[in-house]
This record gives sequence, structure tokens and C-alpha cells, in this order.
Amino acid sequence: MSALSPARNSTRDDGESEFLATSCGFTINTEEDFPEFTDHGDLLDIIDFDDLFSVAGDVLPDLEMDPEVLAGELSDHMNTSSTITTTSTGSQGETNKKGISGKGEEVISKRDLNETLVAETVVNYDRKRKHSSSGSTKNNRISSNEGKRKVKKVDWTPELHRRFVEAVEQLGLEKAVPSRILELMGVHCLTRHNVASHLQKYRSHRKHLLAREAEAANWTRKRHIYGLDSTGANANGRNKNGWLAPAPTIGFPTPPPAAVASPPVNHHHFRPLHVWGHPTVDPSVMPHVWPKHLPPPSTAMATPPFWLSDTSYWPRIHNGTTTYLPTVATRFRAPPVAGIPQALPPHHMVHNYKPDHGFGGPRSPVDLHPSKESVDAAIGDVLTRPWLPLPLGLKPPTVDGVITELHRHGVSQVPPAASCA
Amino acid sequence: MGDHSSSQASYIHLVHHLIEECIIFKMGKEECMDALFKHANIKPVITSTVWKELEKENKEFFEAYERRREEMPTEKETAQRIRDLLARTKI
Repeated sequence: MSALSPARNSTRDDGESEFLATSCGFTINTEEDFPEFTDHGDLLDIIDFDDLFSVAGDVLPDLEMDPEVLAGELSDHMNTSSTITTTSTGSQGETNKKGISGKGEEVISKRDLNETLVAETVVNYDRKRKHSSSGSTKNNRISSNEGKRKVKKVDWTPELHRRFVEAVEQLGLEKAVPSRILELMGVHCLTRHNVASHLQKYRSHRKHLLAREAEAANWTRKRHIYGLDSTGANANGRNKNGWLAPAPTIGFPTPPPAAVASPPVNHHHFRPLHVWGHPTVDPSVMPHVWPKHLPPPSTAMATPPFWLSDTSYWPRIHNGTTTYLPTVATRFRAPPVAGIPQALPPHHMVHNYKPDHGFGGPRSPVDLHPSKESVDAAIGDVLTRPWLPLPLGLKPPTVDGVITELHRHGVSQVPPAASCA
Repeated sequence: MGDHSSSQASYIHLVHHLIEECIIFKMGKEECMDALFKHANIKPVITSTVWKELEKENKEFFEAYERRREEMPTEKETAQRIRDLLARTKI
């Protein structure tokens, strides 16, 4: 034991790897030998979703493609290949031309594979083909209006996305089928296909965020405890329990400036799932990110980076402008993904975690990026339970002083009788 | 009339309480005015007045608070690095 401890003490900063190296005679290099243990978040950052979703934008990999539509579109293209020079079919021919160039290599290869299948069933799919091509006609018309794009791309505007999300919520995330979503959205320029691919991205994004959030929630909580612990211990010699459990009716008589002004650790408050494509978000606030995409949404990215999430949360994007989170985000977090027991959004966490003595909430004093949800929750708590003790215990202002000051500013009625406008 | 003054006092106390919550979030006065207006429908002028009065009564606290807020950007960076480290070490 005594032989080991000196070594341990000396290498403590660098972790166990050196310790093991010195004492056991071999080296463990955690960075190089175990690259696959990087965080899933990094993985998602690395994965090029463009590759998955194909350069053409909203074209899905084989996973979810409705065989009918696929066959329908293939027969489109097959049709096109033989009639590409004859523009006598008019707009339909034009559409198919655009369609085939848009689909690119992926569909062409599929076409080769499926030629026989389509040939056999072309009678049945003719009807569907007409539908799909009429859908894509409109789509391409729109795309061509946007500057002669050959890709059959859907521009997921915030408004469009909002309707998408509404539809998904109505159906329930698990039950949200592209065809029904399309019905609910009532948008004509979308194909089921577009919706399906959008849905796929949306689901995957949610899962990722929920997982992240679970991690963050745990981390935040731990930090919180450690933060309070050393504050309490240093400032007053009180231990953690002392800090957390003073007489419930008293605020914190101990120096609040010390507590607030010198928290030992500052860490990010991990934001909850952010609204994706919420239409009211100020576009100048650009926190958003979809794992690979860079903000802002006006970039030429194939898919809309309207997924909003906290930049501070997302390790790659870091512009620190984010303080705004629309409160509608709570809607997305309503159905917690099963199997992630800790993936409760901070909004719920606020209520579950809140101790009943007067601490005032689960937020650590060291939040650097207050989320709107947390703020809203905290404020809501105060409004509904005004008898709770003050979290900081600041010396209250004199009532007369405040009233006089308000009169000077022209506010005569306190509290205001009418609602503020 | 007595009721009037006590309702004033309790309203001011409410705003005071809300401001303290905002301070926990490290908000500044303007952010606080904004948040309280958005979430609690409190006129920004009222928020700002109560804030100023609180400042008068708790000078030292607010001075320290402002100093800490100025340090925030570097702390952000530190926190970022901590997070990255933790993210990497997580299995």
C-alpha cells in the first residue's frame, strides 16, 4: 500500500492512466485506444446526415419508403427515360425530367433493381403514379419558382414545420404516420415522402435531445449539489445539509452575496428540448442546430436547421446568443420517450426536484443560460405560492420608497387593476 | 384604505420575490424586466423600480452581483470546457 500511494498522489491529476502506467508497467492511453467510446453526441455530430438522407434533400433511404410511392415514382422515371426527348406530354414530362434529375443516383439504381417489379405491376400503380406525379408537379413548380432547382425539395418553413408538429402532436408521436400527418396538415405541396423524411429527422432529433437532456439533468443536479456543498463548507463551516435545510420559514440568513457571487463552479444550465421550428422565434437569435448543421436557417443547407436548441448545450455550435426559448417547447416534451426514465424535461424536473423547504427551485445559482422554461417555471411557482420564503433573502425595499418612485414614473395604481399591455 | 396599502405591500413583495428568482438565473435588470413582463405580466416600470430600490437596500450584494456578471463570459468558456471533458469521459 505504501509503495503505491506515493505514485497515486503524484499522478492524481492525470487520472488513472498514468498511475497504472507507473505501477503496472503498461500504458493506457484513453484517448487513442478507445475512440469508439466517444460520446454519442459526438457521433451524431460526425455522422453526415446529408449522406443518410441523400444529397437530394428530402429523399429517404429505403427504410420508410412506401413501396407504392417508390414504385410509382420509379415508373415515372422509367417512363421518362423513354420519353425524355418527347416533350409532348407537356408539364408532366417536364416534371418527370426534373424529378429524375432530382432523385439522382439513388433512385436510378433503385430503378434498375425494380424494373421488373414495376413492369409487372404497372397497371396497378399507374393510378398512384398519376397521384405522385401530380404531387411532384406542384412541388417542382414551386421549386422551379425558387430558382430552377432540379431537386424536388421541400422548404420547411417555420410555418410549415409548425403545422407539421401540430399534426404530429395530434396524432401522437408514436402514431404519427406520414400519410395522416399530411392529411392533417392539409398542405398540397408536400408529398407523403417529404413528410416521412421530415418525420424521421424529427424523431431522431428528439431522441437525441432527450438523451442529452438526461445526461445534462444528471450532471446539472450533481454539479448543483457539489456547488452548494463547497459553498456551504467554505463560507460558514456548514456542511451541505446545513445549507439545504435551515429552518424552513427563514430565508437564508447567511451571506447571500457569498452564495450567489462566488459559486465554486459555473456550469451551463442545460436547456430542455427546444422547439423545433417554432415560428415566433426571433430569427436573429440563432442558437439552432441539427447535429451537423450550422446556424442560421438561411444557409443553403438541404434540410432546415430550424431545430432549435441551446447553443451552449450543443458542443459544436457556440454563439452564446441564446437566451430565448419559446415556452411552446413544453409541448414537445409532453410524451417522454419510453425507456429513458430520466428523460424528464427540466420543466418537470422543476416540480419533481424542488425541495419543500424554501430553496426556491432546482436551478443552481450558477445557471449561465437560463432557459425560458425554467424561468417560467420559477416565476410560476412564485405566483402560485407567494408564501414561499425568498430564495436570497435580500433586504426588502421600503414600500413607501417604491410607491413614491412609481408615482414619479406615472404609475398610480399598484397592483395594476387592468392587465398590462 | 388599509387594505389598499397592504395590497400594495404584498404586490411589491411579490415583485421582489420574482426579482430574486431572476437573480438566481443571473439575469440583469433588463432581462428581469422582460421576463417578469412576459411570464407574470408585470409592467417593466414596476420591475425596474423595485429592482432599483432593492439595489439601494442591498448595495453590496448588487455590486458583487454585477462583478460576477461581468466575469460570465470567461466562466462560460470554462464551463464549456468542463462539459466537453465530461462528455468525452462519459462511457
